[in-house]
Amino acid sequence: MIRCQGLSWGIPGHPLTPPLHMERPDGSLTAIIGANGSGKSSLLKVIAGLQKPLTGKVSLNVQRRGGLSFLPQQQHLDRQFPISLQELVAAGSWGNRQEPAARNQRLKAVLDDWALSGLEHRPLMALSGGELQRALLARLSLTEAPLLLLDEPHAALDEKGQALLWDNIQRWHREGRTLVVVCHDLAAVHQHIPHTLLINPSGCVLGRSAELIAPTPYTQVA
Amino acid sequence: MLTATHFWQPFQEFVFMRRALLGGLVLACSTAPLGVFLILRRMSLIGDAVAHGILPGAALGFWFAGLSLPALTVGGLGAGLSMAGLAAWITRRTGLREDASLAAIYPISLAAGVLILGMAGKRLDLLHLLFGSALAVDGPTLTGMLWVSAASLVAMALIYRPLLLDTLDPLFLQTVSRLGPLAHGVFLTLVVLNLVIGFQAIGALMVVGLMMLPAAASRFWSRRLPMLMLVAALLGCLSVWLGLLLSFYFSLPSGPAIVLVAGASYLLSVVFGPVHGLLRRPPLLTSQ
Repeated sequence: MIRCQGLSWGIPGHPLTPPLHMERPDGSLTAIIGANGSGKSSLLKVIAGLQKPLTGKVSLNVQRRGGLSFLPQQQHLDRQFPISLQELVAAGSWGNRQEPAARNQRLKAVLDDWALSGLEHRPLMALSGGELQRALLARLSLTEAPLLLLDEPHAALDEKGQALLWDNIQRWHREGRTLVVVCHDLAAVHQHIPHTLLINPSGCVLGRSAELIAPTPYTQVA
Repeated sequence: MLTATHFWQPFQEFVFMRRALLGGLVLACSTAPLGVFLILRRMSLIGDAVAHGILPGAALGFWFAGLSLPALTVGGLGAGLSMAGLAAWITRRTGLREDASLAAIYPISLAAGVLILGMAGKRLDLLHLLFGSALAVDGPTLTGMLWVSAASLVAMALIYRPLLLDTLDPLFLQTVSRLGPLAHGVFLTLVVLNLVIGFQAIGALMVVGLMMLPAAASRFWSRRLPMLMLVAALLGCLSVWLGLLLSFYFSLPSGPAIVLVAGASYLLSVVFGPVHGLLRRPPLLTSQ
């Protein structure tokens, strides 16, 4: 469960929105939408505990380490970093006390899941943007955290990659995990995510995606 | 006529050459991998700044205790760590970039060091502190280098995974573990420790060369991190060995000779290295 009480965030003295009160139950799947610079990514970081809120607080009912998993935007990563795709993905099993054999098997399965088999030994600098994004998602799958925070997971993914992404998001949702997804693609939000938080400088609105987003087939990308 | 014996005879013949070689080799084995991580963390210049920052501490140690290894080490360590700490603190409190705060602090330390040395009398040569003499490595210094190098390698092995993740993706590490700041702190301590023990052998500024040049050169030889650290250590060892020989046969100062050999290995790597070297165009296997 995620509970935000009187939460505001942004630069000190300039909160991006009026204080936010929000509660998301366990197993919910919520999108965050809003214009560029409205504070979607910052809100996600505040929920993840990676950034301090200006006022208010966030309560999560998961353990402090390993209870949540955060998918950052990939600009964070140094593409020149001298490791292979497999090493990047394997970091997802940090703190996992399985036998090495079982862990390896799980790693293989996840790589397969995200259509990364055959790329295991590619260095990061030789990956395309979409391959890197799928590698980050695969790492996230390995963590098996009950709370998943995804910052623009569809970025850099082609059509096939996006289909894979939404399949996996649905699967995580069915497994009862709590998900929050920052997403620009309103049509996809409308189609795949039941609830949406719209961030606005005048105030945030939480509601059913079907009601918040006009259901035209050509919904504009914000 | 150059024969194979030229390459090992001086070390066989003279104790001071043997000590210098052994000390240099173990130092290269621990500084070069640290340099690889400094480059990956985009902190390449911190070595330079810390090397200058060590000076006032070492000078104070000299003032109070004379030319003694423990006093110089403790003083240098204190000054180096407090400088790195002060820079990190200013960065966290004000948002000034870390390289800028380091660049602001190290002239202060350098000037303070020179001043203290002046007040202490002229018995300790500033040039000796900055550029050192590998040929003056005595028994206790050599023992100190062996310990520091061994401890650094063990500590690096212990913090390798958290340090790697903290370098690549600190946000991710923060969500799964709280070892990140610890690994960062241990790593910085190791850097300062190696610079302090090194400055007594080949000089404060020269040891930075031994730390950064092989590390920078290694990036042209491999795309895998363990391999990079190995290549860097080997290049460092090679530089120490050839540099000492040059200094022996041509009566050159040993610190600069070692660093210039390392510099030559860097330039050769830039040109001939198989990974993005100048002669390898177009680059292999890069993203668009």
